[in-house]
Amino acid sequence: MIICRCEEVTLEDIRDTFHTYKCSAREVKLRTRAGMGYCGGRTCRPAVDAVLEEVTGEKPGDDLPLKVQPPVRPVSLSVLGGDGDHA
Amino acid sequence: MRDVVIIGAGPAGLSAAIACREWDLSVLIIDEFPKPGGRLLGQLHQEPDGEWWNGIKEAGKLLNHATELGADIRCGVSAHHIEKADNGFKVHTDAGVFDAEQLLIATGAAESAAPIPGWTLPGVMSIGAAQVMTNVHRVRVGERGIVVGVNVLSAAIARELDLAGTELHSMVLPAKNPVTKHYGDPGEVMDGLARIAHMAPSRILRFGSILARAGWVRRLAVRLYPKRGVKVWGIPVHIRKAALKINGRDRVESVTVCNIDPAGKPIEGSERTIPVDFVCIAGGLYPLAELAAVAGCPFRYIEELGGHVPVHNERMETPIDGLYVAGNITGIESAKVAAAQGRLAGLSIVRHRAKDKAGLGQRIDEAMRHVTAIREQATIQFHPEVDKGRSKMENIFKEYRKAT
Repeated sequence: MIICRCEEVTLEDIRDTFHTYKCSAREVKLRTRAGMGYCGGRTCRPAVDAVLEEVTGEKPGDDLPLKVQPPVRPVSLSVLGGDGDHA
Repeated sequence: MRDVVIIGAGPAGLSAAIACREWDLSVLIIDEFPKPGGRLLGQLHQEPDGEWWNGIKEAGKLLNHATELGADIRCGVSAHHIEKADNGFKVHTDAGVFDAEQLLIATGAAESAAPIPGWTLPGVMSIGAAQVMTNVHRVRVGERGIVVGVNVLSAAIARELDLAGTELHSMVLPAKNPVTKHYGDPGEVMDGLARIAHMAPSRILRFGSILARAGWVRRLAVRLYPKRGVKVWGIPVHIRKAALKINGRDRVESVTVCNIDPAGKPIEGSERTIPVDFVCIAGGLYPLAELAAVAGCPFRYIEELGGHVPVHNERMETPIDGLYVAGNITGIESAKVAAAQGRLAGLSIVRHRAKDKAGLGQRIDEAMRHVTAIREQATIQFHPEVDKGRSKMENIFKEYRKAT
């Protein structure tokens, strides 16, 4: 079953990666790219968090489970690479 | 440089803009959706007193008021980053960078995906998407569908689909997996149903809701739940049936549903295929707080409020000077609560900024009492212990202030 649509990462991929590398939630994310696609995790973030909570046994802490990085919306490179002109 | 930038033109953002304009602050509101109003635009339901709540009308009233007062509202603009600057914030958007002395983040909530096998097929959508298509874009989502996930939001939207003439076969639970373990649990779902029963024209549910406050009754109700489901507005609602998978080659053709035991475990041999051309998945709402995170606001996990929420006080101030939050980003509640919080946030911003502060303290106190009163009157409660979540957050803010 697919969890992250953008990067086509399945529930099995996430489980296998954790069992193979016995690693942190963050490392599972980096190895599988779950939540790191075009939508920036906007669709699957809670699902990825829930799966990682179950496989790693880490309870939700006060910090957001996987760090939020800008840009938090899909934007074109020309927007990011602009000269910072003020609107 | 504007006095105030507000991100989100929903009930919270528009109400805050009105308060700020009443005190003559310069206000820009941005929203990524093409129309202002936020989730109000999708809402249509009957209140227990028989009055209809038409979200489009409510949004129109707020919008007219804000526009008459001269608020600058720009839709179709997405904010993707917030930077703290020396004297305020830089709001990075796809329409350029906006400078704000004070910033209100009122981005509302997002829907959690509740994946079951086949959920990526065309024709599968979140329940909120079905609401927006039906009530905002006036597009029929399909000929005959099924709702997977039974909660306050999905029951309300199922009725809206029904009113719009879209056929729903039934509402069932998702099969349990690591993501859907709560939504797929009949006992937990019964809790939720008991909370919305006062809205349902079903004697069984109304009666059940009074009884179901006791845990043993709830367990009994789950065990004895009728095989044919309980009809809510003519739609059979099943909490002892679960969708195992969604089938189809290029698009949704059917759903495989089975009976489940009181713990949510599928009963072998009970699988049945139901032909449908669309599926609405309801995985609940969580505060959409990414922008508060990149702005550097601290977070706390509070289940009663819907998950991770930015730390804030009862005046909607965050620990970051000049940064405010209001509406569902602070916890999942109704649009009326969001609007009351928005007004309060607006007044807090004014107090911080306005030269003439006469009478503001009293107005803020009134606005705070108003938020509490609206919460107490709420007919739709997303979490029964939202009050507890709110007081947890008040204490967290006090402790946070002490520690820093």
